[in-house]
Amino acid sequence: MVCLLLAVPAYAQGREGVPTLSGYMETHLNKEQNLPTEADMHRFVFMVGHSFSDRIKFWSEFEVEHAVVTGAGVSGEVGIEQAYVDLMLHRRFNLRAGVVLVPVGIVNERQEPPTFYGVERTFVDTVIVPTTWRDAGVGAFGDLGRGFSYRAYLLPGMDAAGFTAADGIAGGRQQGSRADASDPAVSGRLEYRRRGLTAAGSFWAGGSGFGLIRLDIETPTVTVGSLDARYRRGRHELRGQWVAVNIGGAGDLNRALQLQSGNSPNIASRLLGAYGEVATRVSPERWADEVVAFARYELFDTQNKMPAGFLPIQELQRSAMVIGATYFPDPDVAFKFDVSRERNKSEGIQGPWRLNFGVGWWF
Amino acid sequence: MMKLLIISLLLLGMPQAPSPKPQAPRVIRVSAERFAFTPSEIVVEQGTTIEFHLTSDDTDHGFRIIGTDVNAEIPKRRRGETVVKYVADTAGRFVIECSRPCGAGHTAMRATLVVK
Repeated sequence: MVCLLLAVPAYAQGREGVPTLSGYMETHLNKEQNLPTEADMHRFVFMVGHSFSDRIKFWSEFEVEHAVVTGAGVSGEVGIEQAYVDLMLHRRFNLRAGVVLVPVGIVNERQEPPTFYGVERTFVDTVIVPTTWRDAGVGAFGDLGRGFSYRAYLLPGMDAAGFTAADGIAGGRQQGSRADASDPAVSGRLEYRRRGLTAAGSFWAGGSGFGLIRLDIETPTVTVGSLDARYRRGRHELRGQWVAVNIGGAGDLNRALQLQSGNSPNIASRLLGAYGEVATRVSPERWADEVVAFARYELFDTQNKMPAGFLPIQELQRSAMVIGATYFPDPDVAFKFDVSRERNKSEGIQGPWRLNFGVGWWF
Repeated sequence: MMKLLIISLLLLGMPQAPSPKPQAPRVIRVSAERFAFTPSEIVVEQGTTIEFHLTSDDTDHGFRIIGTDVNAEIPKRRRGETVVKYVADTAGRFVIECSRPCGAGHTAMRATLVVK
């Protein structure tokens, strides 16, 4: 075999036996209406990888959130976001085991700050899809050809005792930390790619009742279904996502938790989120630096459908308009600005304005 | 002597056998984006000279064909392209992998080169 590299010499990183280091960081300045202005080193993430061989790979992600970690849990947190080993068997079928990212939506698996517009992750990917959503599990992934690929995992379920009206299922994540696996879950993603377009359907489905074992109710079940797409052509980019979370047995769950704590958590039987985003590179073609302007409309309703006998908290039936811009002095460095206006269905409580500045980078 | 001269002139005057034309390389454009190559499967005939034109839609990536000497860096978005020439003279399936850490799904960023 003969090969000739015309432009660039062989690249040395990531070769067998040499661990690799990469990471991303983001620092924000947030001003929310009626709240103090806040400066925050939101995320500081190191990624370490290693190739045992061409067939066996290790990847990990270690994160510090909010700069300082204190024992009282009032400040930041340290976490393992990913730590898995891949066993490459065949193009169509490979195995993965360890702590993995749940493959639902766009942002949960693509978290590097230069990959999304807006200082903060979308509301949908915060309130409805609880990023960063990960757990210890095992699964398979592969390339099916004709642009299709998949990931499918077996994971522990959620703890429904942690669900809330405002934050949905976020409090039920076990994050691979001594996770109770008595109620297993399955999650998967089927993705289609062609030049400029990525479209996918993804899901998570499982039981979530182990935290309620002493209560005489049927195990609540959770199913999350999502569709998402990204399309880039020239200087323009479109992005959209739709996600629904269904909680089976939400009525019994509310009644059981009320018996425990005295208050009904008013958990919905369906949460709904969706957003559409348009972005355009507004800087001249001849500039190496890029300036991208974007606008996004989001719907994030954690009280979309209530179980019989419960009324929605209208303040939590939310939507938001976000507009902003990102300056890329390098494709891996993003200076961001956005302003958002949140609205809700409540007649008495107005959603806040938010003004955000941030810088994020990847290396 | 005259005979030798005539034969030489005749030989010089004969049309020369055409020398084999070098085969034009087959240009294959591959774009890289976290965490996939597009296209993810490339099929060529054995003996094909391939000219890979490699670009990225985001950060820099690596383009390594396992089992060969090819291991090139793909520059970041709008920073140009890498051109790699490769003579596919061995039949088989070759795994192409990203050899430059690029994020959360880096280890699964692979494609296949099929040489028939």
